[in-house]
Amino acid sequence: MSASHDPFSAGLEACACLTPLGDEQATLAALLAGRSALSLTPVLGAQGGDPVPLALMGPMDETQPPRWLAPLRQLAARLPAGAWGTAREPVIVTSSNFGVGSLYAFTRDRDPAHLTHGTPWAAAELLRRELGWGPQIHVLSHACVTAHLGLAQAGRLLQAGLADRVLVWSFDFVSPFVAGGFHSLKILNGAMPAPYAARETGSIGLGDGAAFAVLAREGGPFRLEAHALYNEMHHFTGNQPDGGGFAATAAAIAARTGGRRVWVKGHGTGTLEAGRLEAEGFARHFPGAPLVSWKGSLGHTLGSCGLVELAVALAAWRAGRAPGTVGTVAPTFTAEVATEAFPTGGYDAAVLASNAFGGAHATMLLTHD
Amino acid sequence: MIERYIQYVAVERPPELETAAEARVRLGAKFPRTAVRRMTHLGLLIGSVLDGQTPGPEDALVYATTYAETRALEDYLTGFPAASPLLFQTSIHPGGVQQVLVGRQQPLARLWPLAGRTRLVEQALLTALLEPAARVFVVGGEERGTWMLEQGMAAARPFAFALVAAREAAGAIGRVAFVPDAAAKDEVPPSLEVFADALARRENITWSGAGGNWAVTWL
Repeated sequence: MSASHDPFSAGLEACACLTPLGDEQATLAALLAGRSALSLTPVLGAQGGDPVPLALMGPMDETQPPRWLAPLRQLAARLPAGAWGTAREPVIVTSSNFGVGSLYAFTRDRDPAHLTHGTPWAAAELLRRELGWGPQIHVLSHACVTAHLGLAQAGRLLQAGLADRVLVWSFDFVSPFVAGGFHSLKILNGAMPAPYAARETGSIGLGDGAAFAVLAREGGPFRLEAHALYNEMHHFTGNQPDGGGFAATAAAIAARTGGRRVWVKGHGTGTLEAGRLEAEGFARHFPGAPLVSWKGSLGHTLGSCGLVELAVALAAWRAGRAPGTVGTVAPTFTAEVATEAFPTGGYDAAVLASNAFGGAHATMLLTHD
Repeated sequence: MIERYIQYVAVERPPELETAAEARVRLGAKFPRTAVRRMTHLGLLIGSVLDGQTPGPEDALVYATTYAETRALEDYLTGFPAASPLLFQTSIHPGGVQQVLVGRQQPLARLWPLAGRTRLVEQALLTALLEPAARVFVVGGEERGTWMLEQGMAAARPFAFALVAAREAAGAIGRVAFVPDAAAKDEVPPSLEVFADALARRENITWSGAGGNWAVTWL
């Protein structure tokens, strides 16, 4: 089993995020302090249900206009100026939720206003109008690896000379629809997530998150040097028991590190089997490299997690200190799991990974000059 | 110019009102019996157009659908808040093509699921042309909705298509070409359904968009 890496390197001209803890600087500060944005919240919001760990920017019940629009306007205010949505400066919108929660609101009150943003394209179209983008808006949706695909696709557009800059935009906001779905799978339960912790019961948290990155062929000092993607297609939700999918993308990126000293920001949602396979895969291909997950604080921001966590990783590197795996204490699946913050000064690259349903794996290499 | 050669094409255009149960009877022989019971209408149509085609682990697949797993989504919502884990899984993009590939235990290097509308065909072809894989499967389709269709949130007609785009010209039946042109305006590309019909009829298509001029031609 193998995954070839995408050789298309791209410079990060800008990258920012918004989480319930604030922008990437505030989020980093909270993570370094070991603070969690997760709190036990009724799984169906105002309609009640079991308490589950959610990290929200406000009540998750559906609103008109959708509750994600105001935070996204706030985030968009930080975008560099550009002719976004044109052929030379296209936008790639990535999400797994888009506005799907509004469909459940429609089934309750039959208000057609909920439908204006219920499908991926409709949500992207609403954004396009609100933010004044042109028609060149790519819409990608591959569950929790979506943001990685957007970043990889941006690299390809730049490499082919078809774009001068590419804006990758991600957003995922929790709704009763989504929380109820994960609750039905029993992985969203009453326990707080502890990524990579060797404990008896696994659990995840879900979180609101949004982020963007502007990529250009040149620029720096930070670059996305390589991407590796792989789809196991072994099971709808489970992974191959031998961890082959995790190993495939880790090996492809390891082959590209070129002797750099790396730290690893893993996917680490808090599920047991996937967490163990991921930690073991990284320990095999990056022995000794500290492995962290931040979903024990931010929750899982689903299709946006790759970009939200990239923004936090960049902030960490600039600040010289990376947060540990908030919410996790020993024993952990491997010795590489870092539960405490550590200085980034001794490293020249970071490996950032996300995984998704269908055994989808995405890993990228972040470097800096 | 960036170009790929079409080595295979297949289109499913069942009657507008065909149900998933009817498709199961019509197409069931193409699938493992254990898998077909749980497949959606869109999954069955995609499996049919990919019948006999086996993506290799280093191949890539571009998956284009605006509405995706409409019926699973409708049924999940109808049952909510007693959420069905099976329907939840099935409703998640890109469930249609995953049903087929998981059923075959067919790993794939890269899967690009696109979910736009107006420029979906253009973006799917652009994604395919940018793929370094020797063979790229471009697959798309929709299934007919019920209450979401009444609200303009679903397709009215079920259909699916698959084409294999390769670097190899030998044996090709068609060609996809994109010529960058800074002066090219964004014209409206064919919709996914119109594109499927054009593939079925082997019609040449041209338009401008994404900073260039497009041509799908048959050899």
